[in-house]
This record gives sequence, structure tokens and C-alpha cells, in this order.
Amino acid sequence: MSVAEKRPLAEASHVMAALQRIWQGARLNWATTTGAVIVLVAIGAAIFAPLIAPYDPIEIAIENKLLPPSAEFWLGTDHGGRDILSRVIWGARASLTVSLLAVVIGVTGGVLIGLFAAYHSGSWVEQIVMRAIDAIASIPLLIWAIAIIGIVGVDSVGIGPFTFTNVHKLLILIGLLYMPTLARITHAVAQVEMTSDYVKARRVQGAGNLAIMFGDVLPNCLSPLIVQATLLVAIGIVVEASVSFVGLGVQPPTPSWGSMLADARNYVFSGEWWLPVFPGAAISLTVIGFNLLGDGLRDVLDPRRSTGRLLT
Amino acid sequence: MLRMLLNRLAFSILALLFVGLLLFVLTRGVPGSPARVALGLEATDTQIAQFEKDHGLDRPVVEQYIRWLGQLVLHGDFGRSFVTGRSMNALLTETLPITLELVLFAFAFAVAVALPIGVLSAVYEGTWIDHAARIFAVIGVSVPGFWLGLMLIRFPAVEFGWFPPGGFVPLSDGLVAHLQSIALPAFALGVYYIAILSRMTRSGLVETLGSEYVRTARALGLPRGRVLWYALKNALVPVVSVGAMSFGYMFGWALIVEYLFNIPGMSNALLTAVGQRDYFTMQAVVYVFTIVFIVSNLAADLLNRQLNPKLASAQP
Repeated sequence: MSVAEKRPLAEASHVMAALQRIWQGARLNWATTTGAVIVLVAIGAAIFAPLIAPYDPIEIAIENKLLPPSAEFWLGTDHGGRDILSRVIWGARASLTVSLLAVVIGVTGGVLIGLFAAYHSGSWVEQIVMRAIDAIASIPLLIWAIAIIGIVGVDSVGIGPFTFTNVHKLLILIGLLYMPTLARITHAVAQVEMTSDYVKARRVQGAGNLAIMFGDVLPNCLSPLIVQATLLVAIGIVVEASVSFVGLGVQPPTPSWGSMLADARNYVFSGEWWLPVFPGAAISLTVIGFNLLGDGLRDVLDPRRSTGRLLT
Repeated sequence: MLRMLLNRLAFSILALLFVGLLLFVLTRGVPGSPARVALGLEATDTQIAQFEKDHGLDRPVVEQYIRWLGQLVLHGDFGRSFVTGRSMNALLTETLPITLELVLFAFAFAVAVALPIGVLSAVYEGTWIDHAARIFAVIGVSVPGFWLGLMLIRFPAVEFGWFPPGGFVPLSDGLVAHLQSIALPAFALGVYYIAILSRMTRSGLVETLGSEYVRTARALGLPRGRVLWYALKNALVPVVSVGAMSFGYMFGWALIVEYLFNIPGMSNALLTAVGQRDYFTMQAVVYVFTIVFIVSNLAADLLNRQLNPKLASAQP
């Protein structure tokens, strides 16, 4: 049996080892476990919102307007008589759709760009790609997200056979602006891996470039990418909420935590405290969850790089 | 060193040119002429064409961009909005100082609180002080500033009346009232950076305090305070650079905080422009934000190289 045929097994054991490390690390650390539980609850709420939300999150029931929390409406109702609990549960869907898919887009693009640059290591191609990445990284995320949606408008845009709602636009935009960070990480790790002995050995074996980049180099870049991706989800949640708060994100009547806070802002003088408290608590808790999980994963997967954290 | 400086400077200028072009392409690429926005729906096609001709909007995008850039670089003139007819320079001189003041206050506040917390947390590593500081840091980076601001308006401002619930009182209306109006927004903006900077101070100082030279200094019998001072000088190197970068990022979040507190700064100008589909104003405001951001990143990079001799000799 040639060495090349053994590869899938070797890779599987690599992934298993990483999972085992995560598991062992998580058992030891209550903070990471708390983070993981919060993240699972939030994702569960997003997926099963139609099943667990006690009321319709959109239908107006004006007779129940602005009721304080009670046995009937656990977290109270808003100005349209809608149940806050149901809207908070549905809000998880909007929030996580944007933040998770944005990270998927960011990781996909970032990995491809980073690997491409690392593959051309030392040539002018690498220089151009990495300088372009630096230029995009010099764009402040939040301001540009607001400005671009302001320019394009919040209405759905049809391009060819596709229709982009504002949520799609927002998540693509955040994903694009994530790419530089992720490309830099991939590039930095991949560049080191490219010069390692095992990659040379694989070349001697006659493995193709694509096989080496995706089969050998990429799996070794995964640890820092997983850590960064988790922390970027946390940032995505806050960015989505902020953009929705100024009215340029998720559009009513779709429930989102940011737009619920925008509604709550109108009642800040009249004393309905439950309007701002619960959506904000939902954002904060979910973000704490992803941050704790990201920090915990970093301690387990990427201990040497545990310097600082991502700025937004 | 000089070569590195020039290199970084040249790159920052290139990045600014690129970003400016991107903004131009975006604002000019949207369907619907700015003339339509300016003249209203009743305007005839001839009027639109005339307006576009008068304002050079019928020229190719790149030509428009170069002309705009020329005005900006040669005369420091951001031009005039087609929609409101306002001079951008007037708008910016009115709004930029307010945003700048808010960010400076928040920044100073964040640094002043973060450093002592980080130092205490490192010196008393593993004690309840350290644990409390770390829990605060996790909460601080996670709670969105605008929600914190909303809660601050709800309770200390509206419920207890300690602060105005929003708006901006200029300095000319009295120092106390001015500071009161800016206190809550600066706090809401600063908390995230207290968390980040205190954690960086802590991890840097913990590492330095455990290093050989600190142990030697202690063994030689140097007083504790003096050793801490030496260690701190080295531990703060990464904090200074992240701090400088934070300054740029704070402008982004200031946008949301200003909106929340009804502060008539740059964000107000930007969001009003978004509402009016006034692309020209949006473009100018976003460009100024981006310049601030790029300059503070450049400063962070240079500071880092200055303070870190290992990096100073390395190629950028």
C-alpha cells in the first residue's frame, strides 16, 4: 500500500485528535462549557423557533399592547401587543443567520485567498494579493456596512435569477469585510507549513498542488481559523444588531434583536423597562457565549497564539 | 527606519486612493441619478441631463473621481452636496469636532480605567481581584455599547435624573452641563475598550513578571514597586499599539452611540444623508472616517515598531 492511500486515515485521526483536545479542554474549563451551552441554546432557539415560541412573533394584537411580564406573557409585550419572548426567540434566527453565514463566507474567501497567496509565496503575486488584503482591512467594518446599505438601499435587489434581501446583503457584506483577517491567518500559517519537511516529502511522492494545499496545508491551518471564526460570530451578532438598530439591517416586521431595541428606544421615557432589557440581554448572553467558547477553544487549540483579541 | 516609514506611508496613501475610488464607483454605480434625487420625481429628462452636465455627472466615473480628488488634495475641499447644496467642509467642521471629542473622552476614560485594572489583575494573579477583573472583561467585550447606552438612558438619566437623557450641550453653554451631556455616551463607548485593554495589560504584565530579568531584579533586592515599573514599561508595548488601533475602531462604534444619544456628530450627518439618499455627503463622511481609521492604524504600526526594537529593523 502506498503512503498516499493512507492519507484519509491520517487526516481522520488528525481531526479526531483535535476533537479530543477540545473535549478534554472543555471538561476542565467551566467557562468554555458555559459558552458552549449558551451557543447551543441560541442555535437551538434559532432552528426550532416555530416550535418553541409560544406566540406568533409578527401578528399584531393591539389589545395586548405594552403588557408587563406576567404568567401569560413571560417577558411582556411590545407596542403591537406581540409577545417579547416569542420575538426574542425568533430574533435568534435573524441574528445567527447573519453572523454564522457571514463567517462561512469570510472563512471560504479568506482561506482561498490565504492559500493562494501562500502558494505563490515569495513572488509578486503574493505581494499584490496581500497588499490588496491590507487595503480592504483598512476599511472600518461598521461604517462601511452602514454606508453601503445606505447607498444600495434596504429593498430587495434582483441580480439575474437571484433576489437579495437586505439580510443577504448584510451578511455578504460582513463576510467580505471578514476576509482580510481570515486570509492573513491562513497565509501566515500556510506559509510556514509550505516550507515544512512533510510538504516536501509529499511533493517527492508526486502529490499535486491542489492536493497538497487542501489536503495537507489546510488541515494544519484549521485550529487558529476555528478560534477566530468563533470570535467573529460574536462580532457579527453585535454588528447585525447595531445595523438593525439604526434601521438599515433586518427590516420590520421580521423580529430581530437590534430592531426590537430600536422600538424600545421610543419608550425610554415612559417606563416599559421590559422592552429594552430582554432583547439586549439576549444579544449580550449570546455574544458572551461565543466569546467564552472562542477563548476556550483558543486555550485548547492554539495556546501559543493567545495574545490579545480581535478589535472591532 | 526612514525607508520603512516611507513604505508604510506610501501604502496608506495607496489604500486611501483605492478606498476613495471604491466609494466613487459604489455611489455612482447605483441605479438612479443623483440628479433625480436632487430635482425630485417631477423633473423632466432634459432637466436631469442639464443638471448632470452642470455638475459633471455625465463624465466617466474615473474622471469624476480624479476631479474630486484634485479639489480635495489641492484645496482641501470636499465639494458641495447636490441634494442639500451644503458645503461638505462646513458640515465637517461642524460635526467632526463633536465626534472627535466624544471619542477622545471615551478613549481617555478607557485607558485610565483599563491600566489600573490590568495591573492589579496581574499583580494579584489568581486572587478574587483577578477573577473579578476577568469576568468584567468577558462581559465588557460582549455587551453591545448601544444597549448599555440605552440602559444608561433608561436608569441613571430618566429614572434618577443624574444626566440628560440625550442631546449635546456645547461647551459655550457651561462646562458642567457639557461634561454631563457627554459622560454617558463616552462611558457606553469606552466600556468595550476597557475590557480589551485591561486584558492585554494583564496578560502582558503576567508574562513580563515571570521573565528572567524580573526575577534577577527581584533577587538583587530591588524594591517591588521599581521592578513593577520596569516590567510595566515592557508589558505595555503591545497595549500601546492596540490602544492606538482602538482609537480608529472607536469612530465606528461612535456612530451608533451618537445616534442613540442624539448627538449631532458625524454619524448624524451620515445617517441623515442615508435618509435623503445624499450620496455626496455619505461619500465625504465615510471618506473622513476611513482617513481617521487608516491614520490611527498607521500610528499604531509606527508606535509598535518604535517601541519594539525587534520589529523596527524588520521589513514591513
